[in-house]
Amino acid sequence: MRSAVSVILSSPLPDPNMSHPDYEQTYHHHANLLILVKHVGEELSAKNFNKIFDRISRVNSGRIVDSGGVTRNIWARYIKDYPVGNNDWGDFQTHRRLLGLITVGKCGSQKDMDELCRVHESLKVRYNSTLYDTRCIMYGALVENQPSSESEGGQLPTVAYTPPSNFKSRGVYFGNEADPESPALEDLISEFISSLFWVLESKRHERSREKIDKVSLLLAPFEKKDFVGLDMESRSNKKRCVGRMTKHLGDLCLQAGLAPEALNHYHAAVETLRSINDLLWLGSACEGLSAASMCVRFPNLHKVQSVQRNTSLQETNKARNSNPKGNQGSEPGSSNLQVHSLPNNVLSNDEICKNYRESIIHYSKYQHAGVIEVEVCFKAARVAIELNMVIQTASFLQNIIFITLSLPEEEKIRKLMTLSELYGKIGFQRKASFYQRLAATKYVSARNPQTNWDQCYHLMLQSLSGHRLSLDPSEYPAGGNNGWGRLQKQVLQDVVVAAKRVGHSSLATRHMTLLLQVMWSELTPQERHESAQQLQVIAAQCEGSPIPLVLDTGLVIPPANLIHIPTAESFVVHELKPNLQPLKLDKIKEDYGPFLFTPLKLKSQERKPGVKDKLNYLWVAEEEGQVEIELTNPLQFELEVSNMRLLTTGVVFETLPLTVTLPPDVQKYMVTLTGTPKEVGELEIKGYLTHTLGVKSNCRLKYLPKISRPQFTIEVVPALPYLEASLNIGSSKDRSGSTIFLYAGESAHCNLVLENVGRGSVEFIEITSDCDSSVVHVDIENLPSQLPLPENGKISVPVTVFAAGNFMNSFPAVDSTSVKSSVMSGTNLSSLSSLRPGQYSDYPSTTPTPSFRSGPSSLSSLTSQMTQMKIDHSSKGTIEFHLKVKYSGKPGMDAGYCRLATVTLNLEVSNSIQISNWDVLPAETSNQFYLVLDVVNLTNQEVEIQYTANKSILIEENESCRVPIPIDRCPLSKIGKFFQSEDSLKEVVDLNVTCSDHIASLVDVKWVMGDRRGVASLKGITLSSHMLDVVRMSPILWEISVNDEDPNTNGTSPYAVSIGECVQIRVVARNALTRPLTNLSLSVLFFQDYQNGTCNYNLEGKLATTGPSYVSLPMVAELGAATMECCTVFFYPGEYKMSVQCNSQGRHTWKQMPPLEFDVQDVA
Amino acid sequence: MAVCVAIIGKENAPKFIRCTDRDQELDFHYKVHSSLDIIEEKLLAASHPKATEPREQFLGMLYATEEHKIYGYVTNTKMKIIIVIDANHQALRDNEIRAMFRKLHGAYADAVCNPFYIPGDQVTSKKFTETVLSLLVKS
Repeated sequence: MRSAVSVILSSPLPDPNMSHPDYEQTYHHHANLLILVKHVGEELSAKNFNKIFDRISRVNSGRIVDSGGVTRNIWARYIKDYPVGNNDWGDFQTHRRLLGLITVGKCGSQKDMDELCRVHESLKVRYNSTLYDTRCIMYGALVENQPSSESEGGQLPTVAYTPPSNFKSRGVYFGNEADPESPALEDLISEFISSLFWVLESKRHERSREKIDKVSLLLAPFEKKDFVGLDMESRSNKKRCVGRMTKHLGDLCLQAGLAPEALNHYHAAVETLRSINDLLWLGSACEGLSAASMCVRFPNLHKVQSVQRNTSLQETNKARNSNPKGNQGSEPGSSNLQVHSLPNNVLSNDEICKNYRESIIHYSKYQHAGVIEVEVCFKAARVAIELNMVIQTASFLQNIIFITLSLPEEEKIRKLMTLSELYGKIGFQRKASFYQRLAATKYVSARNPQTNWDQCYHLMLQSLSGHRLSLDPSEYPAGGNNGWGRLQKQVLQDVVVAAKRVGHSSLATRHMTLLLQVMWSELTPQERHESAQQLQVIAAQCEGSPIPLVLDTGLVIPPANLIHIPTAESFVVHELKPNLQPLKLDKIKEDYGPFLFTPLKLKSQERKPGVKDKLNYLWVAEEEGQVEIELTNPLQFELEVSNMRLLTTGVVFETLPLTVTLPPDVQKYMVTLTGTPKEVGELEIKGYLTHTLGVKSNCRLKYLPKISRPQFTIEVVPALPYLEASLNIGSSKDRSGSTIFLYAGESAHCNLVLENVGRGSVEFIEITSDCDSSVVHVDIENLPSQLPLPENGKISVPVTVFAAGNFMNSFPAVDSTSVKSSVMSGTNLSSLSSLRPGQYSDYPSTTPTPSFRSGPSSLSSLTSQMTQMKIDHSSKGTIEFHLKVKYSGKPGMDAGYCRLATVTLNLEVSNSIQISNWDVLPAETSNQFYLVLDVVNLTNQEVEIQYTANKSILIEENESCRVPIPIDRCPLSKIGKFFQSEDSLKEVVDLNVTCSDHIASLVDVKWVMGDRRGVASLKGITLSSHMLDVVRMSPILWEISVNDEDPNTNGTSPYAVSIGECVQIRVVARNALTRPLTNLSLSVLFFQDYQNGTCNYNLEGKLATTGPSYVSLPMVAELGAATMECCTVFFYPGEYKMSVQCNSQGRHTWKQMPPLEFDVQDVA
Repeated sequence: MAVCVAIIGKENAPKFIRCTDRDQELDFHYKVHSSLDIIEEKLLAASHPKATEPREQFLGMLYATEEHKIYGYVTNTKMKIIIVIDANHQALRDNEIRAMFRKLHGAYADAVCNPFYIPGDQVTSKKFTETVLSLLVKS
């Protein structure tokens, strides 16, 4: 089938060719009578002519009973123009003959009529060789208001004008061309068709009766001179004549409605012509055979042909869709197959195609048969479509491309469009689009004298679908990479150019935007750059905006958006600032059921998927919200993006436009868009608007490749007031910002100022602190009376801050000698003078050193426990705490929301004083004891310590001193229960805590430093078990009598005895506890105190004692007493002391205080 | 001989196109693109329930233009291989074309055997490219 155009005939005749092919040809046209309907004169408007033409076209068939009584179906085909050249091929294929002529015109005067008649006659002459009959329809020739009627010749008086005398044709006169639905016209045409049929029928009979040896040779137009000088009488030539005539008869039969007969003739002709290699006519016979077969098989199919001719592409698509491919053999006409028994020489589908193919091959050998070849290709393709032979159709259509015809551009376009239409019909959308594009380029090619960019543009648009392109950006797959990027880029680029040339700048902008939107991933950086610049140029003429454009044709072009310029890398909807965030007023306790975790999904949880993309934070009406977008400028030039705003739905949202200039190639440029919701409800943030490169775009998140969420939904709660909270630290000198500098133990007063700077009044305020109330105390007594707080109102709330600190040295120096030495050394000796020197020297065993050294392991564990128990604020450094002000007001309060204002206060605590070491000493009475503290001044100033009500001492900077504080002993009521069993560590600890609390509650060491003052509490003081014995009240009450009298009657002065006098001493120890004491021992010990810290216990030669000085008692009952009596004789004069002590279980020792003194005098 | 080789994916998107003349690349894109219509049609016909014979992978010549002949080959996974042959070249025999297709198919199979290749991506295998280039340059 590949056409190697071999030229059989060397030189073409002047005009043997048909001027151009009729691309609409179908096989069925072989059976039609060709009638030219010509519009003549200028009186009749083109519109009215078209109306009349349509009416005529509807009468395209007639059923005529022939002389044999057989009903014939006759078909007519109307055309508006017919080249004479085509008519010349009438011998070759009779359906090319113009058989009838109808002229339609209107005359307003006699002159008009003369003109109409003249034109009619001239047309008659033009097609004289083939015309069988003519009609001349003239409107306006009848007098108005008279019934229209046919009239002959023009003699009737109703005719307004008379045709000229030389007018030999049949004229038909009508009154008004606008005459609606008068059946006269249709009747006339029917009559005309039958008239043509009878002439045709007679010609057919004439031909069929011709003697075989007398038949003339039929010639195609270009063959005329080939046979000059040939032997016409040769045998082959005879055969040629017969073959051609047989074929001719077949043509006539087909036209006359005798398809089966035509089939026979064609079969015969094919055989005859094949035997003599008359290829051109053989091709024609093959074609006729196929056409006749189709006519036989589908006699009624073509009823709709005249309608189909003008159908648009869309409708043909529908037609194809309604006729599915796989449905071979069940064509619309197939129902007729069962009715008529087919002649057995009818061709099958494959044979029809084979015959068409053969005819194409034969035609291709003749240069002058190009038009015929093109037409047969189209016919074959259409037949193949009807037979659902898609591949065959494609090959037929493909063949058309090889046929070289020199055609004007206009004809080429029609050819391409027809190709496109047929490709579209068989579902070859790519091919169809390709030819559409080709046609589009022909409209504007350099060779086309009348470039038509408008047509070009529209065809370009139509061809988009075949390239998997759409004008709607939403139809593109998200991932991109849909293929054919290079083609698609080119196609879109062409559309842009076409739109620009048409003059639709808005469309050009739109298409360019689309190109940048959907082809982004296919574009190289260089192309992106160029396209963006191109867009900028186009958009300068007409700004692009995201609204659909409607073309004149009704095509709607959806908006395209520059979603990649600039590229959004991230999109974050920000929470409101912490002080603006709304909180639920009452925290509703969430009900999790009895289980901490349950795999069951409760109903309340099931609802969640619906709102899963809802943000878990809130915005407040009338409060500005922020969205942060990271933008990347993919272009190499500075990009100005103006009017950037948020795109939202839901509640009314007022968004502030923003203009940014992105530097070239900038990555992740941060941009913040703001806006204020005006209503309460759900706000959906769908994306953002941009205006860049002259194009306004709606960048919706769902189309942005780098943003995972299609939208952000955020709840907007009712408006809330706004309080500004600040701390006014007026009274304190040391303030820097909200930091207060205090020495440990000092307190400061400041004011929390709450100012309503928002809208609406504040109706509810609640102040909490995250710090211990001992440190921060907020006085809210007056607060309720000041509510509600109006706009711009202020409230001042007093706040007291106390620098609580731990003054006790948690870990007293292990090597306490260093403390001691520091205490003893230097200037402090003077301060020590306040101490009674004797109290240290009295009981060396009770100095701190041995007490801390005894059992260090148990003590350290005890100390560590104590450390854990006490409320620990690091005594040095900074404490940060927050005052939280919860407040609310209408309307947000009604919805259950409030706001939180937080004031941060830094409390910087410096060391003031510290108790580095401590010990206890028994006092002069058994009800009291002395707490001896080593106070260290840790400041760099002189500090005055007030340690009792009227005693104070000054300590230089970084020095320490030792102060004694008399304290009441811990009464038995507090600690009595601990004597029960002191085995468990817990009891020891509890006892320790009780005693420590007892001391702390009684003692506050006040310090004064210039005009600053503070209190050091002894909280957390730890006591060893030896200390505890001193601290707590003795459970033993002593009753001592000397010589049966109370030695204390004469005050504290020593009891006077003389040498050799027997002093009777009686000691009664009473148990003050409510339980018995076991395993007790009472002892009496005499000693001499040298008043310099040493005591002499070795008095064996100086006195003698009778009776026991040591008594062991297994048990002393509750509230019972133990008595011990002894007598003593002093040998030498001097001062003696007697100490009485009671030992319980070897653990506790209680002494009678103070020791009894004896003044032994010489007996003079 | 071969002036253009194209691998087209299941969804008719190109995975690999290489041709001898870079300037004509767009032309070849058009040609390969429009040949897909015929391939689809042929596949549809083959997948018709009445079609009993197993589909042959080699589809033969899809269509021809003045300059080129376009041949198609479809794997069982609907990957299409298209070879464009210069029509002016002396006629290649059918089995020579088949051999080219088989070679390409093998090379393609090797390329997608790469565990790092994600099906549906562009074919970027160096070895595959070499095979294609050998077909393009040869004779």
